[in-house]
Amino acid sequence: MRLGVGTGWWRSSFGLVAIVGIVFALTTLAIGVIAYVATHEALEQQLDHRIATETAALIDEGDDGPEGVAVAIRRREAARSTASLDFLLVDPDGRTVAGSLGATVPALPGYVELLPYERNGEQRIAQSLTTLLPGGHRLLVAADRAPIDEMDRSLLKLFVGTFGLMLVLGIGAAWIVGTVTRRRLASIHGTAQAIIGGDLGQRVPVSGAGDEFDDVAVTLNRMLDRIGLLIDNLRQVSSDVAHDLRTPLTRLHNRLDEALATDDREGQRGAIAAASAQSRELLDIFAALLRIAEVEGIGSQAHFKPLDLSALVEGVDETYRPDMEASGHSLTADIAPDITLHGDRRLMQQLLTNLLDNALSHTPAGTTVHLSLTLSGGRTLLVVTDDGPGVADGEGARLFQRFARGERSRTSDGHGLGLALVAAIAAAHGGSARLMPGPGFKVAIEL
Amino acid sequence: MRILIIEDDAETNRFIARGLTELGHQVVVSHDGRDGLFQAMEGGFDALVIDRMVPGLDGLSLVRALRAAGNAAPVLMLTAIGGIADRVEGLEGGADDYLVKPFAFSELAARVSALGRRQAATADPARLVAGDISIDLNRRTVSRAGQRVTLQPREFALLAELVRNAGRVMTRTMLLERVWDFDFDPKTNIVETHLSRLRSKLNAGFDTDAIETVRGAGYMIRGG
Repeated sequence: MRLGVGTGWWRSSFGLVAIVGIVFALTTLAIGVIAYVATHEALEQQLDHRIATETAALIDEGDDGPEGVAVAIRRREAARSTASLDFLLVDPDGRTVAGSLGATVPALPGYVELLPYERNGEQRIAQSLTTLLPGGHRLLVAADRAPIDEMDRSLLKLFVGTFGLMLVLGIGAAWIVGTVTRRRLASIHGTAQAIIGGDLGQRVPVSGAGDEFDDVAVTLNRMLDRIGLLIDNLRQVSSDVAHDLRTPLTRLHNRLDEALATDDREGQRGAIAAASAQSRELLDIFAALLRIAEVEGIGSQAHFKPLDLSALVEGVDETYRPDMEASGHSLTADIAPDITLHGDRRLMQQLLTNLLDNALSHTPAGTTVHLSLTLSGGRTLLVVTDDGPGVADGEGARLFQRFARGERSRTSDGHGLGLALVAAIAAAHGGSARLMPGPGFKVAIEL
Repeated sequence: MRILIIEDDAETNRFIARGLTELGHQVVVSHDGRDGLFQAMEGGFDALVIDRMVPGLDGLSLVRALRAAGNAAPVLMLTAIGGIADRVEGLEGGADDYLVKPFAFSELAARVSALGRRQAATADPARLVAGDISIDLNRRTVSRAGQRVTLQPREFALLAELVRNAGRVMTRTMLLERVWDFDFDPKTNIVETHLSRLRSKLNAGFDTDAIETVRGAGYMIRGG
């Protein structure tokens, strides 16, 4: 976030509002200029029109020549009926015949916009029309320009004032908006800086005004919470992995030490074989961890295809039946036909085999394992349940985490990764895996 | 068999080459994709073992280039990433088999020999024969020395796979992939259990075991 000067300064909120303010002020100025010119012209035309009308009237009244015009002028001046108009009639030699206008009559007939004249010893400006009468007399009719000038001045004052006000308001608004925006952004900026600096607990302050800045702050905070949760999760997983790999690594190390320490060829072979088995187990753990990470990381379900879940479950049921029977378990199944799923065939098979492997390795002979696939309310429900010892209360959700093992299965083999993979596969298919209340062990996969 | 190995990791390359040579195969090695493609194009190989991530030209592009050039030498692809979509991509790209690292050498050896030229198809494509075992794929019937044997569908599929590859060792994971379509290894010994059931049905009334167990490697049916 850059609010300073530079090529893009106008993109800051101060710049944007200032530009809007200046545009408004300039528009006002342009309108002012147009109105000023139009008013000015209209007033001048109006004056011209009055002068022309009066001139025509005078000539009309004095139709018998300059004498008549002079009489008409005197009559008007006496009556003071046309206070704003002044007259002057001069003979061909320029001598005044009638009228009191204190000015020199222009030599040529026609309009003169700015005619200097004198009234009561004061120099003034008038607008005038000089008319050449038959016989060489010249009639000058003039109107004082004071009203026009006055109007001009008023308009000028009005528009300059408005322009100035708009400018001040615009810049002021820009400053206020700029300052407020900068202050709010600075708090977000500060939080981000603190997080970059390593303080992941920082959150963007929410003013409580409920404005758009608060909306952004709340969203950012939720994002930070989510990231925090993921990072915690990752830390937990990493430390679990490190912790749980230490045991097999230690065993491997011990076996190799044992092999080194003994001179007995047979003993060495045995120790190396055990070490090899340990390393195999480590590789299996890594493979399982990678598989879980991979399933959790399935971003797109691009390779998912429609598959016949009923047939798949039947196939796994059939595959496991001999082993179940061989170990003294019994497997029963209740599979609704024609249930399809958009998913990965091998992953779904792995999900099922993990659950059945679990049941086989954690329950005693004589246990019945039941497999059911049903469709209810548009959701597919896959349940694997057994009437074995089940798990201790409160172990429920934890069992779906990596390396989590039930207290009762501590002694049996396995690494606590099977159910984590089950949960990951269910999640990758937009479903969930959960432990249902006993008796026995009961896992429901909702898809 | 004459085998070309294209693998950049010297350790893995040596490990595979030594093992295959000990088994009596003639081995040529290459450490680079481009060089490997050049050698493979010269032909004369019965099988190619190609790492998916070799420098120069990656394994997948290499196989595509080979196939595009009309070279049909069977390919076993090796990979360190057992990605879910990865395997499908490899097989669709023209590889004949796919093996994820780390692997036991016996697994690789079994897969390489399984890649070798298949026996000439019998006159009847719906009939598979190995030794005294005969399978009718259409009627889904099995007989040993003319005597009918009744099998479960999965046992039938298992036997058909073994007979189809008669004379070659099939490993546990190969059977899991081909008979069950599992790309993972379940904890439960489903292969062993099914094999023992299949065996007891096939061997009933006979003195010789129809299915040979190759220690540390897998299972095999003799004869062709």
